Amino acid sequence: MEYSNPELPEGINTSKEHPLKEFLILTAGVTLIISGLILILVLLSDHFAKYIPFSWEKHISLSFVDEAPKNTTNKKNIETYLQNLADKLVLKQPLPDDMTIKVHYLDQDQVNAFATLGGHVYFYRGLLDKMTSENALAMVMAHEIAHVRYRHPIQSLGRGVIFAVIVSTVSSSVGDTIMQSLFNQAGFLTVLKFNRQMEIASDEYAIQSLYAHYGHLKGADDLFKILQDEHGDNEPYEFLNTHPLTTKRLKYIQTSEEKYRPATNAELTALPDQFKKWLANNQK
Amino acid sequence: MVDLIIFLILLASGYGFGRHAEKKHYRSIIAREKELNLIPAIATKLIPATGQLYDSNLVTGNVVISIDYFKRVIAGLRNLVGGRVSSYETLIDRARREAILRMKQQAKSEGAEMVFNIKLETSSIHKGRRNAVGSVEVLAYGTALIPK
Repeated sequence: MEYSNPELPEGINTSKEHPLKEFLILTAGVTLIISGLILILVLLSDHFAKYIPFSWEKHISLSFVDEAPKNTTNKKNIETYLQNLADKLVLKQPLPDDMTIKVHYLDQDQVNAFATLGGHVYFYRGLLDKMTSENALAMVMAHEIAHVRYRHPIQSLGRGVIFAVIVSTVSSSVGDTIMQSLFNQAGFLTVLKFNRQMEIASDEYAIQSLYAHYGHLKGADDLFKILQDEHGDNEPYEFLNTHPLTTKRLKYIQTSEEKYRPATNAELTALPDQFKKWLANNQK
Repeated sequence: MVDLIIFLILLASGYGFGRHAEKKHYRSIIAREKELNLIPAIATKLIPATGQLYDSNLVTGNVVISIDYFKRVIAGLRNLVGGRVSSYETLIDRARREAILRMKQQAKSEGAEMVFNIKLETSSIHKGRRNAVGSVEVLAYGTALIPK
C-alpha cells in the first residue's frame, strides 16, 4: 500500500469571491434593511403617538433647570406675562380638554424657544431680548403651542426610542466598538427634533391663532426677518437650528398675510413697558 | 465624524495589509507543500505492514494567525444576515495548512518517512470584547515514523 499526499487544487475550502464585492453587497443590503425597518416603525409610531393620552405624557418629566435665576421677582413677572399670552392664544383656539400649556423662562443667553413633553414651553432670555412687539412673540408662542397641540414632542420621542433600540440591537450584533459608536452617533442626531412637516404644520396653526387673536398678521414674521438679517455669515442662532428657516417658510407666512387680508388699521401690540427691564435685571 | 475617519482608515489599512499578508502566505504555503510532499501526513492509525521497522515519535506543528480589521467588519455584517463567513474561511484554511507544514518540517528534521495518525485542534485564543474572535490557533500533531 502506497501512502502519499496528492496536490489538491486551490479554492475548495475557501471562497473565490472578491472580499470587496462581498463587503459592498453586505453594506448595501444591511443599510437598506435597517432603513426600511426604521421607516416602517417610525411611520407606525407617528400614527400611534396621537393615541397616547396627554395625561401620560405629563408624567414623563424632562426638566430643564435654570441655573439659579438672579432675580426671582422678574422671572416671575416674565413667566406670568408669557403664561397670560399663551392662555389668551389658547382661548381663541382651544386645546383638547386635558391638554395644558405651562410656560417657563430660562435666564440664559441662548436665542431659542422650544416645546417639550407634557405641554411645557421654554423661552430663553436671548430670544426674548430680540422681540420687537408682542405680535412677534405671539407668533413664536403660538408656534410652540401648536407643537404641543399636534403631539410633536411625543412623536419625536417615539422616533428617538425606535432609533435607539434598532441602533443598539444592530451595533451589538455587529460587535465592533468603533462601529457601535458610529451607529450611536447617527442615532442621537435624530432624537427630540421636529422635522420640516411638523414645523410647517405648526406655522399654519400659529398663523390661525394669531389671526384669531389680533385680527391681522402684522409682525408675524418680524422675528424671523431680524434673526435672518442678523446672523449673516456668522453661526445661525439656536432658534434657526431647531426651527430651520427656509425661504419657503418665510414666504408662506407672507402669503398668508395677504390671504388673511390685513385690516388697514392693523397695529402692532407693544410689549409691556417693563419687559426690557425685567430681562435686563435678570442679567446679573 | 472623527470616528468615521478612524473607522475608514482602519478598514482601508486592514484590507491593504490583510490582503498583502494573505497572498504572501498562500504563495509560501503552496511552495512548501510541494517541497514537503515527500513526507505524507496520513490520518489512519495503522502503519503499513511492510515489515520495515520504525521508531515512532510525536511531532507537532502549531500556528496562531490573527484576522485583520476588514475581515472583522465583514464578519460582523455577516452576523446580521447569515451565510458563509468567507472572510474567516481563508483564515482557518491558512492556519490549518501552516500547522501541518510545521509538523512535517519537524518530522523531516528527525529523518521521518511519514507522519501517521495526524490530528488537528483549533481554538480561538483571543475572544476580545463580546466574543469577537481576534485570532485563531491551530495545532497539528501526529506520529512520525523514522526508519530504523
